[in-house]
Amino acid sequence: MNFLRAAVRQVVGLFVGDWLQSIVIVVILAAGWFAFSKLGTPAVVLLVLLLAGQMVWFARAEARRSRKLV
Amino acid sequence: MGTQFFSFGAAFLGSAVESTEALTIVLAIGLTRGWRAPLLGTVAALVALAVLVIFFGQLIVTRIPDSALKLLVGTLLLLFGLRWLHKAVLRSAGVVDLHDEERAYQHTVDQLKDATDWVGFILALKGVFLEGLEVVFIVIAVGGTGKGLPVAVAGGLLAMVVVAITGVVVRQPLARVPENTLKYAVGVILTSLGTFWAAEGMGASWPLDFVSIGGLAIIYFAASRLAVQLIRRPALA
Repeated sequence: MNFLRAAVRQVVGLFVGDWLQSIVIVVILAAGWFAFSKLGTPAVVLLVLLLAGQMVWFARAEARRSRKLV
Repeated sequence: MGTQFFSFGAAFLGSAVESTEALTIVLAIGLTRGWRAPLLGTVAALVALAVLVIFFGQLIVTRIPDSALKLLVGTLLLLFGLRWLHKAVLRSAGVVDLHDEERAYQHTVDQLKDATDWVGFILALKGVFLEGLEVVFIVIAVGGTGKGLPVAVAGGLLAMVVVAITGVVVRQPLARVPENTLKYAVGVILTSLGTFWAAEGMGASWPLDFVSIGGLAIIYFAASRLAVQLIRRPALA
């Protein structure tokens, strides 16, 4: 049972480190899909910039959090 | 051909990182308790993982429509790649400690103190299977679209063989493998592949086709370096 639990944790952990960040990524993809249906291919530029931007933002936020804890 | 090159590279590098972690566990058991139990555990885990690759690989490739598959795999690759990239950025900026194979080795050795023989089998099975799950995901995800599964499987297998041979030769944890650099590179590649396929799944067509993956990799790498610089700024310290 412990082994199964560890396997499930490992599989979920492959995709989710921070639930909020994962939700934001999925929302960005959904917004990108919506924008693509309205704007066509140029919407992928917006998609890439948002994805890159959230990466910078969440990394910075975690760095701030961990420094506050020290 | 171009996407197959990226698939092979991503599968090889990602599998090399995870195989190194699995090797550390097997070496710790083998060098302290003998080789029979950990080798049996490793073989059992590899058989279970091969069944997963064949079953899910075929199921995914043959049953799911191409556009839905690209969107699904692209989304999962993005989540997976961005998670690795996030960790690599924090490690590069000194916020999180680098992964230490020596410490992981010692932790496994400590677990074996006063343990019975079958514990070596279970630890090897668990370690190889859990680390191998990541290899399976990487291989299926990067190879499951664009008919690149055989190429991705080849990349994953080659990485496992290279790491295993190196482990047998040096007989100690591969502490010098630049794991963070590899994870950083794989994070950038997987995030780029994920974006490429997710957008194709939405119906977008990329200018210059697969060459765009290179452009995406440059953008994500630049963004990650920006994140490292922002985190290192003294104002945050």
